[in-house]
Amino acid sequence: MLVAAISFTGCKKFLEKPPQGKLQEDEALVDEASLQAFLNGTFNTQATEIYNGRLWFINDLMSDEVNGVLYTEDNGEIYNRRTSIFGAFKNDTYTRIYQNIYRANKVLEKLSLASGNKNKIEGEAKFIRGLMHFEAVRMWAQPWGFSADNSHLGVPVRTAPNIDVIDRSTVKQVYDFVVADLQAAEQLLPDAPVLGYPSKWSAKAVLAKVYFQQNNFAKAFDYANQVISSNKFAMDNMQTKRFSLSDSKEIIYGFKNTQSVLEPGSELRDRYRSDGTNFSPNNDFKVTDQFFNLATQPGDQRAAWYTTINGYHPITKYNANQFNVSIIHLTEIKLIRAESGAELGSANLAIAIGDINDILSRAYAGTSMNLPANASAADVIRVTRIQRELELIGEGNRLQEIKRITARTNASPDRRGASAFCPGLVLQFPQGEHSGNTNFIMNIEGGCN
Amino acid sequence: MDLRKLKHFSVLIALLFLFSHLLYAQTKTITGRVTDAAGLGLPRATVTVKGTKVATVTDAEGRYTISVPANANSIVISSVGYGQQEMSVGVQEKINVTLQATASNLNEVVVIGYGTQRRRDVTGAITKVGSEKITSIPAPSFEAALQGKAAGVQVTQGSGLAGSGSVVRVRGIASISAGGDPLYVVDGIPIIQDNFLRSNSGGMNQNPLAAINPNDIESIEILKDAGATGIYGSRGANGVILITTKRGKSGKPSFNYNNKIGFATYTSKPKFLSGAEWLQARQEAWINDGNTGYAPLPSGITWADAQNTNTDWWNLVTQTGFINEHALSMNMGGKKLKTYAGLNYGNNESYIKGNAYARFSARLNMDYQFLPNLKASLTAGWNRGDNKRVPAAWAGGVGDALSYALPIYPVYKKDGSYWTGGANPVRRLNETKWRNIDNRYLAGLTFEYMPIKDLILRAAGSLDYLNSTDMQFESQNWLNRTDIPGIAKANPIWGTNKVFTGTAQYNYSLNEGHKFNFLGGVEVQENVINEYNGEIYANTDKPFWEQMNLYHDSIDHFKTHPASRPNFAERERDHWTFNSFFGRINYNLFNKFFFQLQARYDGSSKFGPNYKHGFFPSGSAAWILSEEDFIKDLQFINFLKLRGSYGIVGNANIPSGSYYYRYNVGGSPYNGNPTLYPENIGNPNLRWEELRNFDFGLEFALSKSRLTGELSYYNKTTVDQLINAGIMPSSGYADAYRNLDGGKIINNGIELSLNAKIVDKPDWKWSVGGNISKNYNEVKSLGALSADAIGGGTNDTRIIVGYPVGTNYVARFYGVDPDDGLPIWLDKDGKLTKTFSLDHRVAVGSVIPDYLGGLNSSVSYKGVELSTLFTYVIGGNIYDGAAKRQAGVVTDWNIRRDNLDHWRAPGDGAKYPRLTMTTSMYDGLSSEWQYNSTLFLYDASFLRMRELTLSYSLHKDAINKLKIKGARVFVTGMNLLTFTKYPGGDPEIARDFENAQDRNMSPNVSYLTPPQQKSVVFGVNVTF
Repeated sequence: MLVAAISFTGCKKFLEKPPQGKLQEDEALVDEASLQAFLNGTFNTQATEIYNGRLWFINDLMSDEVNGVLYTEDNGEIYNRRTSIFGAFKNDTYTRIYQNIYRANKVLEKLSLASGNKNKIEGEAKFIRGLMHFEAVRMWAQPWGFSADNSHLGVPVRTAPNIDVIDRSTVKQVYDFVVADLQAAEQLLPDAPVLGYPSKWSAKAVLAKVYFQQNNFAKAFDYANQVISSNKFAMDNMQTKRFSLSDSKEIIYGFKNTQSVLEPGSELRDRYRSDGTNFSPNNDFKVTDQFFNLATQPGDQRAAWYTTINGYHPITKYNANQFNVSIIHLTEIKLIRAESGAELGSANLAIAIGDINDILSRAYAGTSMNLPANASAADVIRVTRIQRELELIGEGNRLQEIKRITARTNASPDRRGASAFCPGLVLQFPQGEHSGNTNFIMNIEGGCN
Repeated sequence: MDLRKLKHFSVLIALLFLFSHLLYAQTKTITGRVTDAAGLGLPRATVTVKGTKVATVTDAEGRYTISVPANANSIVISSVGYGQQEMSVGVQEKINVTLQATASNLNEVVVIGYGTQRRRDVTGAITKVGSEKITSIPAPSFEAALQGKAAGVQVTQGSGLAGSGSVVRVRGIASISAGGDPLYVVDGIPIIQDNFLRSNSGGMNQNPLAAINPNDIESIEILKDAGATGIYGSRGANGVILITTKRGKSGKPSFNYNNKIGFATYTSKPKFLSGAEWLQARQEAWINDGNTGYAPLPSGITWADAQNTNTDWWNLVTQTGFINEHALSMNMGGKKLKTYAGLNYGNNESYIKGNAYARFSARLNMDYQFLPNLKASLTAGWNRGDNKRVPAAWAGGVGDALSYALPIYPVYKKDGSYWTGGANPVRRLNETKWRNIDNRYLAGLTFEYMPIKDLILRAAGSLDYLNSTDMQFESQNWLNRTDIPGIAKANPIWGTNKVFTGTAQYNYSLNEGHKFNFLGGVEVQENVINEYNGEIYANTDKPFWEQMNLYHDSIDHFKTHPASRPNFAERERDHWTFNSFFGRINYNLFNKFFFQLQARYDGSSKFGPNYKHGFFPSGSAAWILSEEDFIKDLQFINFLKLRGSYGIVGNANIPSGSYYYRYNVGGSPYNGNPTLYPENIGNPNLRWEELRNFDFGLEFALSKSRLTGELSYYNKTTVDQLINAGIMPSSGYADAYRNLDGGKIINNGIELSLNAKIVDKPDWKWSVGGNISKNYNEVKSLGALSADAIGGGTNDTRIIVGYPVGTNYVARFYGVDPDDGLPIWLDKDGKLTKTFSLDHRVAVGSVIPDYLGGLNSSVSYKGVELSTLFTYVIGGNIYDGAAKRQAGVVTDWNIRRDNLDHWRAPGDGAKYPRLTMTTSMYDGLSSEWQYNSTLFLYDASFLRMRELTLSYSLHKDAINKLKIKGARVFVTGMNLLTFTKYPGGDPEIARDFENAQDRNMSPNVSYLTPPQQKSVVFGVNVTF
């Protein structure tokens, strides 16, 4: 009996029971292939947990396009632009964004394992890290331009995979970090676009977006122009293709649907879908009557993106069981070049007019609504902003436009009447940031509506 | 001359007599045996020749041999806890004596870790609860029956759901993320007791203890201090509950049959607005918010339809439950073989339609004496718990009836089909079925061998096998699909928990005054819990339990058709091991002083590589003051013992291997390429949390042992708390397991239990007893963490320095402004403000009561007995987490009736603010979920008549006529009366918990928790 006991326990392994079916770190990240698999998992998570519609829905709830009647719980809190330190929907989104950053940092920490594909691996990691910090700083901090030198507080910049206690960086520091990561990615990533992975053009497109968000029109124009001029992408003949299974030529960065393996856009179908019994006015996205009227003008092909149920106006853009999801597409880049070109004026204005007319002629199935070749810069900007709203409905666009235009003009364009830079347009951090770091300065809440 | 003087006088005379005859003395030898009333030999009884110093002590079987001077008249036999008896010495050479117990429980055997002790010798703090007290009420699970019966033990029954578990706290709580429940040990095996095997699905933590048959239990010992739990080392910090099942006793075969038949209902019915009242409130809120016209109604209901509907959902989903229990057992004991066998069937329906817990069990415990020095014991029990589940609380069902199921919603549409626009608990009840079946085998085989005198070797192998299958069915109607007939689903979990224990025990006596007992042991435990990595399902029109073939076929299909279910496989859910060495030395000095040293060296798979083993020593001592002359003279003191202990014990109740950095190979590819995911942040320094536990106690029996009791003081300090919280989410993780650096939590308290036999006559008896305990709990330090770092799920409880574990942390509501009906708050500094803010949150209450305990009394006349148990809680708070929507912002929830007392017009002095549908109307409020304040914080004190039993035991004559050995008929009421100030229903609340941390911090927080059950049962208990 004692012998049995000793032989049973003598084995040191008896006290080591690694959870079955799991790998330990020294078994998991061992070579280049494992780093690539790790990045694949990160893209998958980005597709299914952040860009599945979740981040856009938070944006859209805070916009002035949404009709907030009947929203309660987390939706009501976000709609009312008064998020608190609680609210799992928002807080989980934050953690998921930073989980992506953690993984990018893990890859960079283990980069020495990479060999032949080292550039691609490093480029993907930096693309993810830059993009995610950009999403975070847009949501959890006052916009670029809120303070003259952008020394107002941004978000934590995480450069290593650990649980270290860190403070918020300034908005300038965050944007500098984002630009540095994306510019590195631009150099490292491959030239050929593959749906589901970033290419150098994805990095450039995001850089165009970042600079546009900063109202840095020269840089935004430059990057948008590089993407458009690459001729790697082309306008679809129908806007609906961007969220379909047909082969959209517009997608610069996005996620590919693989039936019953990866079906991106789950929250888009859950929160925006309006066919069958999918729409519930209590919980789902619906636009205001005002926006509905704007968006359903006679002749506008995009009017088909709206429907009316029990007097509410949900959208139809995502009425399908499966589709590819476009995160950044050529239409948006053309809109950036259009507005940036108009802002820059001179030779660029003509390019801008060309861009916006491409969009208008597609939307109205003809040139009837096109701008004249001698349109003023102000007209181009005005029309581009409207077309941006109409094209990008349900894509989490408008809130960031409210912020950007406020910074540009020092006046809020918000149709809900919020004052410029009202605190509630910025999401509150999860309580864990403060409770895990008592020096962490939280955002001011509410004060918008 | 009083009696005492007479005694002294007679002793003096005897001494003189003896002295005068000394020179002529001769001796003779007397032998005999001293037994107790049950005929068992009494060891260590003292036999003295009266009037001399000649004395001896009985051996382990109660036998003695004494040389008596020929002229001696009598011998005196005495033993602590027993009456003294004098026998005259004549010509006989053999004198057998039966001693009657005085302080009745002093000689009872108390089960301790890896052994037993006489109560009087115990140096630790142990409360024993006997079998009759465990089965007296139809509690949903045996541990619930402990409520009010042990000082310092808080038992909070979860809810009125069938099979619901209880939160048991032994002397407070100091664990944060590790389980705070005591270690449950059944017949020597630390059993599978995980409350989170099913997470909190359906609004209840499935309780694996519920399957254990209370009728099989002989006794439950609750080990409270380090002197008692120290032998359990890294698992002793939160107390240990030892469950001992019944074993065969000597005697002819006898049988016992008992039953309980009765009814169950709820202790309180929540009161809500009717349909018309709800509409009125909705409209009032709409107009208050500055709108005109009719308020929009949720779920597309029109005003016309709403006005014609008034559904009482509570009535539609509740019932009078039927309780039906039968137990049959057999006992026999011969010279070699002793057997106990039991069979049990019980079905307890709760008051919720479709909800019941049926228990089947069979037990066979046998002891066989192969040789005088070799014994084998078999302990085998099969328990089957069949829980017919219903969703509750947040998961819907009866929870919907308290929240989302509005009275303006109909059950059926006009065409007779179910209305599906919103919550419809009737449809849910009829169109979904749910059953959780636990099969539990607990078996052990022990060999006990005595190679030489005083050395006992024991080897025990035990097995705890749990097979838990959760099966659900959703009908075609529920799924709203026509392509399939319905879906049957199942999630089986099965686990094996093996323990091998080897001990050697040696008794050594230096001489009569110095006795030692040495124990050394080794224990190995391995616990594996398995599951499938995905749900078992089949498209069918019936649940799996009606067609188990389909269930097994589905598993086989998934296993053999990887195309239909890629990677479908069994997997380990948890796998942990312990490898331990332990030892104990007991030293009995003059039968007056008792010393105990014990230690355990634990290694476990739960501990990281840098701290693989822990050492846990403890020491304790007892002094029986009543053996001292200066106490012996005090006639009213029959027994007095002082005891104290100090030791270090641990808590290791976390999942195995939490210290690894874990990665998962992705189940599905990304764009055709393999995927890999990180799961957590590892920590090679992960280890047990540590408790330093001091205990001091006084045990006494007074006035011919008619007043007995125990007074204890304890002081516990916990450090290195295991936490899985408090990291910055920007790390990418919400939590990570680690030991809290610099954490310190104290629990100290006083416990008193008293039992008095007020009338103790042959026919008339009246006894009163009770216990009270006070626990003071304070978080002394949390290292670098702040108040919000560690939260109890969604329950707004926190761990805050300077306050108890589980502190209610909400804003302070001051009142309603009579001018505009808006709420007034107190900010952090106590200044009035009309702006709500989460920054106003302060520590305002505690889920831990100040005092708790039980009071019992029993009156009997001949065979008729009336007995009762009251349990009570004084102090502490209840927080009603659902009230923010039931009596707060008007949303698509039911509204509590007491919300009618709300502001309507300027000048109104109302309890609740003006109604609103817009959270921002209450300035600063972001969402109805954040509307937490002292408005919904209540005093948790209550007094409850836990049990009232009237019974009649048949008279001996009748028994003889019926040729049976005993019979009793009874009627018992459970929870018949409750006295509380809590307006939300029943004051005993332990809602469903998300994890151990939530469970540690959030008892007494209600969230649509179904109120407790109230029941009346009738029964008979016959022995033949």
